[in-house]
Amino acid sequence: MTAVITPETPAARRSRWGRLYHGETRIDFMGRKWWGLGVSATLIVITIISLLAQGLNLGLEFKGGVQWELPAAHISRSEALSILKADGIDTSNVVVQTVSASGVNRLRIQAGEQSIDVRQKVITDLAKKAQVAESEVSASSVTSSWGSEITKSAIRALVVFIILVALFIAWRFEYRMAIAAIAAMVHDVLISVGVYSVLRLEVTPATVIAFLTILGFSLYDTIVVFDKVDENTARFAGARLPYDDVINVSMNQVLMRSLNTSVAAVLPVLSLLVVGAGILGAIALREFALALFVGLITGSYSSIFIAAPLLAELKSRSPKYKSLRAPRAVGPDLERLVLGGSPSAKRDSSRVRGSGAGATRDENSSVATALRTPQTADAILTHPPRPRKKTRR
Amino acid sequence: MRRKLIYPLLAVVIIAVGLLTINLSLGYKPALGLDLRGGISVTLRPVGTDWDASSLDLAVQRIRARVDSVGVGEPEIVRQGNAIVVNLPGVNDTKKALDLVTVTGKVFLRPVLACAQDTSATSSTATSTTTAGATTSVVTSGSDATATTVAASATTSAATATSTPSTGAPGPSRHVDSRPAADSTTTTSVSTTAASTTTDGTATTTPGTGSTSGSADVPTSVSGSTTSTVAGATTTTELLQSNPTQTEILKTRDGEICQVGPSQGDGTVFTKDSAKAQIINGSWGVTVDLKSGSGGEGVWNALAAECYNGTSTCPTKRLAIQLDTQIQSAPTVNADKFTGSVQITGKFSRHEAESLAEVLNSGALPITLKVEAIDNVSATLGKDSLRAALIAGAIGVALVILFMILYYRRLAVVVVVGLSISGALVYSATSLISRFYNGVLSLSGVAGLIVSIGVTIDSYVVFFERLKDEVRSGRTLRNSAQRGFKAAFRTILIADAVSLIGAAVLWYLSVGAVRGFAFYLGLSTVMDVFVAYFFTRPAVLLLARSRFMSGKHVLGLDSHNEGTQPTGATS
Repeated sequence: MTAVITPETPAARRSRWGRLYHGETRIDFMGRKWWGLGVSATLIVITIISLLAQGLNLGLEFKGGVQWELPAAHISRSEALSILKADGIDTSNVVVQTVSASGVNRLRIQAGEQSIDVRQKVITDLAKKAQVAESEVSASSVTSSWGSEITKSAIRALVVFIILVALFIAWRFEYRMAIAAIAAMVHDVLISVGVYSVLRLEVTPATVIAFLTILGFSLYDTIVVFDKVDENTARFAGARLPYDDVINVSMNQVLMRSLNTSVAAVLPVLSLLVVGAGILGAIALREFALALFVGLITGSYSSIFIAAPLLAELKSRSPKYKSLRAPRAVGPDLERLVLGGSPSAKRDSSRVRGSGAGATRDENSSVATALRTPQTADAILTHPPRPRKKTRR
Repeated sequence: MRRKLIYPLLAVVIIAVGLLTINLSLGYKPALGLDLRGGISVTLRPVGTDWDASSLDLAVQRIRARVDSVGVGEPEIVRQGNAIVVNLPGVNDTKKALDLVTVTGKVFLRPVLACAQDTSATSSTATSTTTAGATTSVVTSGSDATATTVAASATTSAATATSTPSTGAPGPSRHVDSRPAADSTTTTSVSTTAASTTTDGTATTTPGTGSTSGSADVPTSVSGSTTSTVAGATTTTELLQSNPTQTEILKTRDGEICQVGPSQGDGTVFTKDSAKAQIINGSWGVTVDLKSGSGGEGVWNALAAECYNGTSTCPTKRLAIQLDTQIQSAPTVNADKFTGSVQITGKFSRHEAESLAEVLNSGALPITLKVEAIDNVSATLGKDSLRAALIAGAIGVALVILFMILYYRRLAVVVVVGLSISGALVYSATSLISRFYNGVLSLSGVAGLIVSIGVTIDSYVVFFERLKDEVRSGRTLRNSAQRGFKAAFRTILIADAVSLIGAAVLWYLSVGAVRGFAFYLGLSTVMDVFVAYFFTRPAVLLLARSRFMSGKHVLGLDSHNEGTQPTGATS
């Protein structure tokens, strides 16, 4: 039994990764908030410039038109073009791409709006030329009015979604958290859109679905962080701790959870991207997985580097925290706050295990220490387990 | 306490395994969407603003009836917001698909030139006359009319062949009464003969297309006609598009085949939403109000007078109410002047009366649908996508499980079993939905499910991290599990609530693929809460008491940490 107060915390003896693994980090997130905000601001500026300069590469479904797709084993691009010309299509605006799927090259041909008859004729002619059955030729045609309609409905859904979620968060937590969470969400979508704009990737309905997923995921992550913040706010209420510290503590506490969840969410998506779209070559999956991948990463990033600092900014200005402008706790101080049950507190609590009849596995430890009053300053912040009552039902 | 944990645990496992067994043994499988097995998808939207939700619903019903009549396997016809999405798996012919989905909800009022029982239903005039005889107030009785028409067709049976061999009134008789003056039910049978002979005159003036010869179905006139006319008749039964400006042959709902003249009015003569099914004189019938003025009563009365008097354009005295390519009802007109409202009575069942009322209401507010998008998906492309998604999904899940085992050690057992239970539940739910609600699993749905793996795992992560925190602060594992779950479940509920809000909003407000995605995301979110409370909680609480979990290292907490503890929990 070591009753001495060790000057060194156990975590300090671990490597950086060890501390991460054991959830004993003491990263001063708030001290580095300008890093995060700066990176994000830069990315957003790039996004806006790119959007203004070249816009988005909208897919067929948003522009209207016809797209045919077929195995390209026996047909070349120029042959396809001449078929289109023979069927009376103005080929000046026709785009012919070769895409690879399942190790087979496929030809993707996009043209403006066509009549049903022309569309069908092209299917027949292409199938004949490429020596495949007509059912092997995929074709989709969309009117431009429908494209704008689904864009409109997506935007409407988005607005309703944001309003409802903001109301929900404001009701469950507080309105400042709602603002910060929505801001982080918008940030994620902007950056994801930016990636699509800069790389000129095609935006399809699948991409829109992926963007919507990003919203959900970003919020989910942010809410888990905020839930911790909410809990710590109550916990530190008596200690009059500056809000920056509360956030720092919360973030360190959920860091491992956040990383774990992100890894768990990214793994299937990565598998979809690498195995599904890459090796097996499913085109439909690629569009989806790529947007998701980008979004998941920005989502995890933003809940820590955008949502939390924003919340701290908003909250520090509130009447309650305005007066609490103390220097942030860093290093070991922060760590003690993060760990809650610091070594001294742990020793206090250990008594419980020995005395409790329910703690079956350490009968021999009934030599338990007597209950000591906490000695360190941070002890008021911790809630060591109450001693178990002697009588059990 | 132990029982309180074991029971829900057992219940969840039994439910999951039971549902899965039932589904597998009955062969229920998730129906695959179009993008996973190939076919044609058509998206339609009403043109203009002059329509309402009920007319859109009726259009969906009409399309479904037409698709069913052709026999497409597992079609999906759904209304999504203001659009109708028709998915026809396995169909490759774009033209055919478009024909199937083109419905208007437009009701035409057309004079009936002649009618006959469908050959496939009955082949003798005797039956048709007996049915006619069974009806109450219909005047034109079978044998007479047949005789005259045979004569008529014999005299005129030229190449034009608009013979109109009327068998008179067949089937259940339906007649139209003017509500105020419902006296004139009988008489006027004399005019029939005159009418049918003069019909030939009209037919020649409006040179009907070859299809008019379809009336050769009537056995008595077959002798006078060629075999080719029979072929003509069979093609007309598959007629998918109607041209109301010409004389045509259409089927009624009772299996009659009728020749009808050009449309002389449409459903807009009726007041919107005025048609009601009700009991009139002891049997089910329909009443409907006429619009006043020339556009309503004027048009109707002109047509009614024609039919009531049995003029050459309406020799059978019957008025066909046509929706799309089907005659919904062909009642006999019993008055020449109607004011305010019309009664249609006959041998209706309640259901028939209600559906006729619905048709009349939709006709008052017809809907014109425009094809907004057509999507042919090649079957092999769909199969490839599905295979890739399944393989990628399996690898993804395996990676996640590996990660969980590395990080949470023995606690990962709960994750593995929990994921299997979630998987079994989602699979069963999907199969049941496919079976009973016509839902399909599309590529976007599969993607939604893969994404939900992340969300599901997160519940475990939140709980386990919490549990570790509690253990670290010196509580027993058993105690930590209880406290940890309480706090974690709060977080899980809030986070899942947001996911659910998102899924619901997307589902209500979007069209097409986004909807499938939202549905499966929502489904697995609900499952997540269910599994977390009824499986994860009891499982972890029970594990926390067992020897299996004794010692902190099983949680991934190292012994070093314990070394600082005076009591030395393990060893």
